[in-house]
Amino acid sequence: MTSAIDRRSLLAGALGGAAALGLAACGAPALSVPDRAATGTARGGGTMRIARPAASAAETLDPASSLSAYEYLGAIYNRVVRLDRNGETVPDLATDWSLNADATVWDFRLRSGVRFHDGRALTARDVRYTFQHILDPEVASPQAGTLSLIESIDAVDPTTVRFRLSTPNAEFPSLLTAYQCYVIPEDSADTIGSTGIGTGPFVLDSYTPAGAGAVRANEDYFDGRATLDRIEFFSIQDTSARVNALLSRQVDLLSQTNLDNPTARVVANSLGTTVATVPNAQWYTIPMLATSEEFADPLMRRAMKLAYDPQAVLATALQGTGTPGWDNPVPPQLSAFLEYEREYDPDQARAILKQLGREDFTTRIHTSAYEPNFTAIATAYAAQAAQAGIDLRITNEAADSYYTQIWMARPLMVSYWFTGRPVDQLLNQIFRSGSSYNESAWSNPQFDQLLDAARADTTEATRRQKYQDAQRLVIDDGAAMTPVFGDRLVGLSEDVVNYDEYGFEFDYLALGLTEG
Amino acid sequence: MLRMIAVRLATSVVTLLLASFFVFFAVQALPGDVAEQLLGQNATPEAVAALRDTLDLDTNVWARYLNWIAAAFTGDFGTSLVSGEAVSSIVWTAFSHSLLIAVPAIVVGITLSLLIGILTGARRGTATDSGLSVLALVAMSIPEFVVATVLVLTLAIAIPVFPAVVLRGPDATVGDLLPAVVLPAATLVIAMAAYVIRAMRSSTVDGLTTEYATTAALKGVPRRRVLWRHVAPTAVLPVLPVISINVAWLFGGVVVVESVFNYPGLGTLMIESVSNRDLPVLQAIAVLSALVYVTVNLVADLLALVADPRQRTLHQRHRRRTPAQAPAPAQEVPR
Repeated sequence: MTSAIDRRSLLAGALGGAAALGLAACGAPALSVPDRAATGTARGGGTMRIARPAASAAETLDPASSLSAYEYLGAIYNRVVRLDRNGETVPDLATDWSLNADATVWDFRLRSGVRFHDGRALTARDVRYTFQHILDPEVASPQAGTLSLIESIDAVDPTTVRFRLSTPNAEFPSLLTAYQCYVIPEDSADTIGSTGIGTGPFVLDSYTPAGAGAVRANEDYFDGRATLDRIEFFSIQDTSARVNALLSRQVDLLSQTNLDNPTARVVANSLGTTVATVPNAQWYTIPMLATSEEFADPLMRRAMKLAYDPQAVLATALQGTGTPGWDNPVPPQLSAFLEYEREYDPDQARAILKQLGREDFTTRIHTSAYEPNFTAIATAYAAQAAQAGIDLRITNEAADSYYTQIWMARPLMVSYWFTGRPVDQLLNQIFRSGSSYNESAWSNPQFDQLLDAARADTTEATRRQKYQDAQRLVIDDGAAMTPVFGDRLVGLSEDVVNYDEYGFEFDYLALGLTEG
Repeated sequence: MLRMIAVRLATSVVTLLLASFFVFFAVQALPGDVAEQLLGQNATPEAVAALRDTLDLDTNVWARYLNWIAAAFTGDFGTSLVSGEAVSSIVWTAFSHSLLIAVPAIVVGITLSLLIGILTGARRGTATDSGLSVLALVAMSIPEFVVATVLVLTLAIAIPVFPAVVLRGPDATVGDLLPAVVLPAATLVIAMAAYVIRAMRSSTVDGLTTEYATTAALKGVPRRRVLWRHVAPTAVLPVLPVISINVAWLFGGVVVVESVFNYPGLGTLMIESVSNRDLPVLQAIAVLSALVYVTVNLVADLLALVADPRQRTLHQRHRRRTPAQAPAPAQEVPR
């Protein structure tokens, strides 16, 4: 299982070494990356070429599916609502919404005059169909579990949709912002996977699963025409091949690719290409399996947290490109974020181990080349833990079976998610007892009750307080550590302007190319 | 000679069966099945169960293997578990793309290497010889993905003459692929050349010291003519197996090189199928690769027979002698 040196890290190392030599030779400072991509006036029109890693040849344009071709979705579809930068729910196809007194009935009013790409008008029936499709057990949508509280959906009139919920949920609209919730036309389940007929700013031109495809600007998009004329998508599986495509100017942007630090230096220092930052886009976690013998005891988990300083992990593993996590899974940009820095005290961690009779505690921490920063984070964490007398052996696993064999199976490993889940979904999906995404298998009745109480609370301020109390519980008692939120380092051409991405939101409308 | 071919063909069928058997059960032994691999982090128990059901993965392993064999004998290699397309068309497309790199690499690479081998052999001990030999050794010891990366850095990024990657994947037309063929083919030539050069060099050196070469030289045949007419044709024979192994290696699609160039050939298809556990595609690739190895080796042996009359006569004499040498048990039985 343990691999010696894989080709990718060797290559990255070689590239990084070359870059470092180059830097040393001209005495240049360390990697500095612009905080935000270039903004400015784009020339009208143009074709942007985007390289992406395709999931597999089984990918589909059906947004509800777990095998959806992610990059296309935001270009060709709209949702009822979407998230803004602070994690607040804002209008997309719906203009406004209202709820009854106990937050069990929600009415969404849709924009009028919106048309699908085939000319049909968008109505409430399409929205109803979209969510029935997501909840269809045969589709096995990843969002079905989160939305299972929906009891019934009615198209009240052409522009009003009514959701009845089985349990109160004052945060319900935020659950409709997931990227599985893009609205598709009524009765299109059998064809949507290849036709991609939506209401979005771009119309599908061509599409091959795990191959190339293109979209063109939707001339009568309700929110104005897109800046670009056309976007071409290309699948490139190998990360270094994707970077080569950018460096040789065959593509303009690498999507879903977090460049490791040495590669980012090469891209930033090459002629015509640059690196943009998506702040805190990668949420790194170290789940301690609460059902394992090692970490069943909350006191043991506390020692594992006290033992390390997230700032040190950030500085060494990510060279500072991110934010220390302090074991709070909620990213700091969300308005529901709780400002709470737990203690860092390796001596106390050592004392706890002694109290538990585990002075010479040793176990494996599993990592993989699945994501470029996993091993750096595992190494940095292990170095910190060593100061409290915890001996962690770093174990490298095969990338292709990391999430099927190691994840949720081994006591200690490094994992990650994209940030972008609204706070209610984040806490319920990944930390609630029994959720299928609960990667640390943590179960705390008090936490579950807090989430229920928050959902039933229709007063904004007190509801937020409850979500913050829930965060405190995750930090103090939870079984998952959040050492850092990493910035995503995105490689792009210097010709690209107005690239804007956060969470699962990507601004395809303003994205453009500079003059010339 | 006909009997030899028949025996070789029979062994080939056994080889193919063994290859398919080992690949099938090796993939079974890999952790995770196609359903889990495709779903990854979204592999909730319900989703995995639904996908397994659709793909009919719960049938008995042996039953699935026997079904596969039965269908394969009728030329039906099934459909990909991932894309749902016919395996034969996927694999043929990829194989034809790989040929597009392999054929130029073979033609250019083999010709060049043989020439350089003869040249260095004929000039043993000179600066040309040691220079080229060292170069060949260096090329041999650099892994091909490093060669590929260096070629991309110089000829695609620094001086953008050739494309660094193929953008259109399996949909790429021959027109799209032609400019993209140059760098991978060059990489393969560099990776392969050293073996052929070294074999050809020592074979030429041996050839030049034979009695017939000396006789020809003493007879007054010019040195150049001795080399090209008398030595070179015979000296190629021992190099044929080296060439055939390299040709088979190239036809099988070179995984790492194709992946660096995002080249939609057999190697790339193989990586994808392994990481997705797409068994039908992998099986077809295994059978095809085994077939290529068997055929290329057979062709090399036949070529040697054609080029070297000694091998033919050896065979015949051996066969003729057999009945004479064998004891005749019938006569010893008392009547």
